[in-house]
Amino acid sequence: MHGYIKTGNSQPAWLFPFVVIVVLILSVLPLARLAMVGIAAFADGGVMTVLGEASLWSTTYYTVVTAILGTVISLVIGCLFAFLLTLTDIRAKGLLSFFFVLPMMIPPQVTALAWVQMSGPSSPLLKALHIAPPLGSPQPLYSVGGIALLYGVQHAPLVYLALRAGLMTLPRDGVEAARLSGASSLRVFRDIILPLSLPGIIAGAAISFVSCTGNFGIPAILGIPASIFTLPTLIFTKFSAFTSRTFGDVAVLSAIIAVISVVGLMIQDRALRGRDYRVIGLSGASAAFELGIWRFAFTPLVWVILFFMLAAPFFALLAGALVPAYGVPLTFKTMSLHAFEEILFRQAVTRTAFINSLSLAGATALCLLVVTVLAAYALTRRKDVVSRIVSSLIEIPYSLPGIVMAVSFILVFAAPIPILHVSLYGTIWIILIAYFSSFFAVSLKPVVSAFHQLDPALEEAARLSGAGFFRRLADIIVPLIAPAAGASVILVFLIACNELTISALLWSAGTQTLGVAIYNLDDSGSSDLASALSVLVVLMVVVLMLLLELLAKRLPKGVVPWRG
Amino acid sequence: MKTIVSAAALVAASLLAIPASAANLVLYTSQPNEDAQATVDGFMTANPDIKVDWVRDGTPKIMAKLQAEIQAGNPVADVLLIADVVTLERLKEDGKLLAYKSPEAAQYDAALYDTDGYYYSTKLITTGIMYNTSAAMKPASWKDLTKPEAKGLVTMPSPLASGAALIHAQTLAAVPGLGWDFYNSLAENGAIAAGGNGAVLKSVASGEKAYGMVVDYLPIREKAKGAPVEFVFPSEGVSAVTEPVGILASTKNADAAKKFVDYVLSEKGQEGFLKLGYIPARNGMKLPEGFPARDTIKVLPIKAADALKNTDQDLKTFSGIYGSN
Repeated sequence: MHGYIKTGNSQPAWLFPFVVIVVLILSVLPLARLAMVGIAAFADGGVMTVLGEASLWSTTYYTVVTAILGTVISLVIGCLFAFLLTLTDIRAKGLLSFFFVLPMMIPPQVTALAWVQMSGPSSPLLKALHIAPPLGSPQPLYSVGGIALLYGVQHAPLVYLALRAGLMTLPRDGVEAARLSGASSLRVFRDIILPLSLPGIIAGAAISFVSCTGNFGIPAILGIPASIFTLPTLIFTKFSAFTSRTFGDVAVLSAIIAVISVVGLMIQDRALRGRDYRVIGLSGASAAFELGIWRFAFTPLVWVILFFMLAAPFFALLAGALVPAYGVPLTFKTMSLHAFEEILFRQAVTRTAFINSLSLAGATALCLLVVTVLAAYALTRRKDVVSRIVSSLIEIPYSLPGIVMAVSFILVFAAPIPILHVSLYGTIWIILIAYFSSFFAVSLKPVVSAFHQLDPALEEAARLSGAGFFRRLADIIVPLIAPAAGASVILVFLIACNELTISALLWSAGTQTLGVAIYNLDDSGSSDLASALSVLVVLMVVVLMLLLELLAKRLPKGVVPWRG
Repeated sequence: MKTIVSAAALVAASLLAIPASAANLVLYTSQPNEDAQATVDGFMTANPDIKVDWVRDGTPKIMAKLQAEIQAGNPVADVLLIADVVTLERLKEDGKLLAYKSPEAAQYDAALYDTDGYYYSTKLITTGIMYNTSAAMKPASWKDLTKPEAKGLVTMPSPLASGAALIHAQTLAAVPGLGWDFYNSLAENGAIAAGGNGAVLKSVASGEKAYGMVVDYLPIREKAKGAPVEFVFPSEGVSAVTEPVGILASTKNADAAKKFVDYVLSEKGQEGFLKLGYIPARNGMKLPEGFPARDTIKVLPIKAADALKNTDQDLKTFSGIYGSN
């Protein structure tokens, strides 16, 4: 075979340039524009004004402190679950894993809203249980600790997933050898498992840290009432008080977030460098430890944690949606479906938001899939420097906080597009393009892994028989990668559906997304309506996740995030 | 593959359909969501051929949104229905408003609308004090909020988030015996200013705070629904805004916009406001339940020209006392 076929020419000539152009538009153009505005602000001294504001430094401080604390909390919870669910014989692993990943899929502002309803003197739930704090007690979550706690809950699944992926490939024979030599469980854990799982823990910490710095929903609901601003909420408020300097200011602020994220990722890189984690031997460390008597300690512990992470906030949210007016205790007599009626049948924004979010998410998932299949094909067939650069350019917008991308796209499209004279700012298209950019990497990952598993011989055979590129695509490649493509679509759909950070800056009349609708309802004081809409969104997420669960049997390993 | 393609086509079609089915009229308003929807529904029942899309936010925020859109060359709104005439007066001076002489104006006190027809007041919204019924002190005057009993228990809307709150601060600041000193002593007493009127209502009704400065209709309406709150008109008097309506000069739907202005000023539109618990601006209308007789409500005066001129300075003074949120 070798001397006859060069791997490079099995793809049409337009394919790779097409991928490169898409990446240029989605990644390079917005970030270059952001950099330009930032440099211009440097040149005219605007940066000095921004950097000279005292509020900037307190904001940066709060951003870093909440992100670090949040990362620590997510590490503690995430590691506990990853070790217990991957390495021990705890019961109902599948169910626990599904529940534990759920918070990641729920919009952060819904999480924040639910926790607010759960605590403080306003809690309808606590009032119904007659354990609400007295008049004038502050809401404990409106604090740095509260923001960090919810960051921890929201991002613990990220740590869990990162660590779990590493634990899955842990060599079983190392553990067995140690056992045979008489090592205790604790010793095995400390000397073998912990050192080998460090890369997973570090990677999880880095993802969690970057997600915390870019989170908007949680500090918007918990921080703004207490005047605790993080960089994303400061950018948002700068937009709310629009002046001629706003564009320059937010460009500088976004650059600071980008720098913090990059520093976080560099620390990860540094921590991993100089260590060699190659392992040999049989992987698949399922149930390396028997819990034995400890089962009675750990089983209740994980369920109690899940109760406080999921069930209690959800019921608080439900209670918040069912009270007839603020401050009325919830009983069977006072319970009212008014908020659900109002949100389902009267508020036009509900319908607009559902239509917008579902069609944006659907269009993002499906259009990206078309690009992803082509890109994955081109990138897995070509293994040169250019394709590696293209791959990392696809990753950048996803690893940067959404608010940075939103600002970049505003800068690109604030003025009408030259030649065409069309203005995208204020339309739904700018949100769609920003989604394309931010979720490209999410869409690409499962498809690339499917391509790696694909035997190129099949396609080569078709090519030798004279099948053209599209024929091969339709008859061989697409059927083989279909399950992974399905997973990619559902993952992107789930994430895009619940997105707030990007649309919070880009929405306009008629282009509200679900995230924006919930945030605006709560912001206007209608937290009963916000709670009702949130309950509906949570139910939708659970249904989508169940769909993916049903599909899971037909998917390559590792595509559905919460399954082993 | 076929199903994916057809699904993609469906989604693309539905996306294309969004701008196509977009409203003929876009309203930017500071009314709470439920009230905005009710107003729009009332208008659309009266004018079934016009579809209205609306966006709700606090007056300063929605004005910022509008300014950003104007800068980007793509203002979306056709009609504004926002808290105060001062804001609309500024837009009028900038040439951003369209003059329209509504025939309904004859039923209104001449002081309630712009003589050139750039904007019309639609209702009277006063700002007084609300308190949680389990609070120890029943406030009767603004100064009661600076008493030790209210220490750390007072909240108010921020003028950076609410148009009514800005007018309120500017009004009280000009009252002899109150002034900015009053705001200073409130701050010393642990009062906070954050969010809009909705946030104040939530905070007091839920018991996070005991006392709040707030617009009248919110607590009066919530009390009727069973919330543990009371509203008082303080002895010194209350400030008032009139929630004017105005048409943007950049509108592409001037006819529909004019119909909207006529509707909110008409008897039917005003009755809609009455039903929601607002004091209608039109002559000869009743008061909503829970309000004292209109002539017993003492409205403190405000000099609109001064308010307009001093807005930036007043915002700075306020932020200096309460921090910038």
